[in-house]
Amino acid sequence: MQDNLNARDGDAGRERPRRASEQAQPLSDREVPIAGGTATSEMINSWLDGDAPEPVAVNADTARQVDLWRRIEEDSQRRRQLVTPAHVTAQIMAALPTDLPQMALPWWKKQMQVSPVVAIAAAAGLVALGAAIGNSMRIR
Amino acid sequence: MKTTVPASPTDQLEVDQDIISRVLAGDRDAFSTLINRYSDPLYRHALGMTGSPDVAEDILQMSFIKAYQHLAEVRGRFDAWVFRIVANGCKDWLKNIRRQHLSYDEDDQPSSYSTPDEELDRTELRSDLDRALMTLAPSLREAFVMKHVEGRSYEEMADLLGTTVGALKMRVHRAREALQALLEEKYA
Repeated sequence: MQDNLNARDGDAGRERPRRASEQAQPLSDREVPIAGGTATSEMINSWLDGDAPEPVAVNADTARQVDLWRRIEEDSQRRRQLVTPAHVTAQIMAALPTDLPQMALPWWKKQMQVSPVVAIAAAAGLVALGAAIGNSMRIR
Repeated sequence: MKTTVPASPTDQLEVDQDIISRVLAGDRDAFSTLINRYSDPLYRHALGMTGSPDVAEDILQMSFIKAYQHLAEVRGRFDAWVFRIVANGCKDWLKNIRRQHLSYDEDDQPSSYSTPDEELDRTELRSDLDRALMTLAPSLREAFVMKHVEGRSYEEMADLLGTTVGALKMRVHRAREALQALLEEKYA
């Protein structure tokens, strides 16, 4: 006979005590449907998604849910009429930086400033590199 | 005065590109046309995500300044590009505020609607809904706000967020479920 290594099997009927972190978990972060009478019915979701007409209340629970969502929808309709306060555009324009936005040019198209000293140094470097390559070829 | 949005997406793209070229050529004032054209949906998004008109204005301002500075990098639709800047600004704000206030008691809420008209409009349901929205994970809140507050289609949302319609439906359904659980005791 093998040992039963899964100690939890013996506690099948007993509920595991919840950790403090689990209890504090926001309702919205739960992956499982909420138990009890709070689940939004398929019928209501279809109605709110615009896929079905407003459900005819089949029982008291559904009637209450429909009424709640009708009130939320009325409030949402009013919110949809909200416009940006009149002063905001002027406020944003006043806060814009004075510099014009820069065109995003690829690096090979960007202007480069080279001082005479840097140009002479670069030329000398190229001459030295050329001489070194020439010498190595002559040795072979 | 608001500039009317061109009818077809192709026209819209062409008009926006023309404005962007003008701005890049030195016509700084042309940028205000882009602000006027797109600020309303962006403001509603920021307001829905943060629940605060002041914060929404700040996010909008920072986003348009960022858009101006990087205007030469726009490839494709300006509205989708600037939406992503605003959406990221909202998510960053939510991350920071969550770090500062781990519990969302009433006193911790962002500042309320400030003008007298907005105060009058603010119903009890709205403040409860705002409070409930604050408890949602940012991705669920974003999906719910885009669907319900902004009235966007799932296809449009998928286009803007770079995800699938199925994933967004799942997020919206989960957000509804969570909101209903929070609100139904009082309202249903």
